[in-house]
Amino acid sequence: MASVALFDPCYLQALRPGDAGDARRVLEALGDTVTLIDGRCCGQPAFNSGFRREARTVGRQLLKAARTHSTIVTTSGSCTAMVRHYLPGLWSPPRDAAAASIASRFVDFASYVARHPGLGRLGLRLPGVVALHESCHSRRELHASAAITAILSHIDGLEVREPAFAEECCGFGGTFAVKQPETSVEIMRAKLEALGATGARVVVSPDYSCLAHLQSGAEGLGVQLEAWTLPELLAKALA
Amino acid sequence: MTSFRDRARREIAREHRSAVLQPIMRKLVVDSRAILARGPADARDRAAAARADAVDRLEELHRRLREQLALRGVGYHRAATAAEAVDIIRRLLGDARRVAKSKSMVAEEIALTPNLRAAGVDVLETDIGEYIVDLEGRGPSHITAPAIHLNRARIRDLLARAGAPLDTDDPVVLSQYIRDVVARYVQDSDAAITGTNTAIASSGRLAIVENEGNVALGVSHPRKHIIVTGLEKVVADEAGALAVLQVLAPSATAQPLTAFTHILGSPPPGQERHVVVVDNGRSRILADPRYRDVLRCIRCGACMNACPVYRAAGGLAYASPYMGPIGAVISPLLWPHGDHADLPFASTLCCACTEVCPVGIPLHRMLLDLRADAVERGAVGGRAERAAWRAWAAAFSLPTGARAAAALARLGLRGGGRLLRPLSARRADPRVLPEPAEPHDPALLAAAGPDRSERPRTAPAEVLPPAPADRFRLRAGELGVTFPSAAPASALELTAAAAVASTGSVLLTGSPVDRRALLAATAVALRLDPATIVEHPAGLEPYLGRDDALILTGPSRTADIEKVIVRGIHGSQEYAVLLEPPVA
Repeated sequence: MASVALFDPCYLQALRPGDAGDARRVLEALGDTVTLIDGRCCGQPAFNSGFRREARTVGRQLLKAARTHSTIVTTSGSCTAMVRHYLPGLWSPPRDAAAASIASRFVDFASYVARHPGLGRLGLRLPGVVALHESCHSRRELHASAAITAILSHIDGLEVREPAFAEECCGFGGTFAVKQPETSVEIMRAKLEALGATGARVVVSPDYSCLAHLQSGAEGLGVQLEAWTLPELLAKALA
Repeated sequence: MTSFRDRARREIAREHRSAVLQPIMRKLVVDSRAILARGPADARDRAAAARADAVDRLEELHRRLREQLALRGVGYHRAATAAEAVDIIRRLLGDARRVAKSKSMVAEEIALTPNLRAAGVDVLETDIGEYIVDLEGRGPSHITAPAIHLNRARIRDLLARAGAPLDTDDPVVLSQYIRDVVARYVQDSDAAITGTNTAIASSGRLAIVENEGNVALGVSHPRKHIIVTGLEKVVADEAGALAVLQVLAPSATAQPLTAFTHILGSPPPGQERHVVVVDNGRSRILADPRYRDVLRCIRCGACMNACPVYRAAGGLAYASPYMGPIGAVISPLLWPHGDHADLPFASTLCCACTEVCPVGIPLHRMLLDLRADAVERGAVGGRAERAAWRAWAAAFSLPTGARAAAALARLGLRGGGRLLRPLSARRADPRVLPEPAEPHDPALLAAAGPDRSERPRTAPAEVLPPAPADRFRLRAGELGVTFPSAAPASALELTAAAAVASTGSVLLTGSPVDRRALLAATAVALRLDPATIVEHPAGLEPYLGRDDALILTGPSRTADIEKVIVRGIHGSQEYAVLLEPPVA
């Protein structure tokens, strides 16, 4: 029985308004008490675009909202990586240490659930097939691959198909997708091709940002694929 | 001035670079990982440590290098700028009019070939890939595979336009045609110019790797050899050099070592040798703690091989001699007033580059820092973008509560969504932002079709023979080396100083190693005492001697045309090893 805070990042609030509810259901099923924090954005869009002052302004609000909590579960791998690895660096010493102390309490949803003692007792079941797209930030900055595999292996009846060259980027890259649209789409094509080849009609990822990007191109490129978040998949497997 | 986006758009739409690059780079990344997995397990750590040490003690190591080169009778010249480097090389060339040049990225950086030609010097690019891109006139598109963007048909067209009588586009024929042009030219050239992969401070020796044998011809030039190199390419000692070599070829071309690893000692009799060290902004990079570690770079190209943006847009889209992630980092650092400020934005920040870098350069972090620098300097981000980010920051930090923020976010992302939507019928962007809160149907989980993925085949774990001599035999055999009981007739017979089991390499030492004789031989027989076989290249250190050395890893070859391996470029294809005493 832990008390955890839940951070529902801006783009999920906007594009997947039900995601926080799904994440809460899963965490509560694990036996946790969940508080949704008044956080909006980790600052990543501005940070990745080189606008650090703006990123700091926005990130400060998130750290303020999180400061009284000991664990802040975040439903996006890339936002977690931003908070943990980059946000504290936007302040100079000694304030960066205070920021780092809060930032280090952020944990991605997959890693948190995978090491939760209640996971084995959930009795997850969801027959069918999903393709897995692990995001680059989840894979290379959070090293959450094993956690994701572990969680999915707890779902009875679910077959998980990794696409060929699973470690390759989907081409999103945040504002990259807007600033370099031609290159972004060219990279996306290869990823959609690989995901399509798995035969799965649903793709799940710890990062909905990659998925929103892939979903945006799937129809136009003739790939039948629906994107689900990890909390969404787990919530369905609870029932 | 064009932007990366303009160039990438053109390369993608007109040339469809990924059709050639994607399969090649996918294979290269998989193969490279497999070669590195052969060990030693700490190879990357050792290489990173050797390079980090060199960066930490750069000037100290250069003082030592200069002294040691002087003892060997080799000139040491330091150029602060590209123009100064070109001037020094022109002066050193003296009245030389025909110059055989091998591949060097720093030579591309200082535009050496065009500058020498403008001064009336006849320069021939002797590397097959460089020869091809020289004909095309657009520069290399990859640091280790310059012509990787061109397929065989295009290469044949380029050669034909230059007067080559070719009735096929077979990479073997094309490669051998260029080889013959090069060999004829080198014969009556006045001087040779090469680069170097690492300069060894403690001994003044210079390590150069190559596959074709054109560098072997260059470094053994009977009259004059000029080496041009970047300031950062120094290492403390032989152990450091071997640590670098141990990861260089595996990371670059998925080879255990290249066909030739030259460790140049004193020049051959009659030859005048000079080293020209190019700073051109490197001291400035060294002084910035955020970027100094980029000077660890060994120019292997692993970062571009793994980069999704490089694979999609190709190397020419970077409009710099340095492309891919390393190019996006060092181009704006080397040319702060140039047109490269947008290159750090040519990345999805997927971190594949940082992951594969064998010397531990945090490339993605540097890309982020360079983006911030570019915004700070006003080199990117017009007034509209600046205003947009300020408005964004204000909106997302209002004390309005999470729900209001979500509404704002939705608004913002809808705006982003419009950006993603096709603006006109002409635009080929297929993306449409997904609608929020799409209902999801669990029935889709059951609607899956069969899995048709073509996943890369992972080779089954090899069971290696226990004896080092047998492991050596296995790896050398893979490279085409034979193990007859007696030396083939008319073979040039040489005695090896040592060999490497994991790479199938043979070490020759002597002062100096006669490279011209080696290349002229129709067959080579190498006598090897099995007791001198070491496991990994790093183990060669005690056998390297004090002067000239040459590590041979199979016969010469090239893969400059579509990565198709063509064996036997300069020098013999027939390599035989005679184990003496023979192994039971």
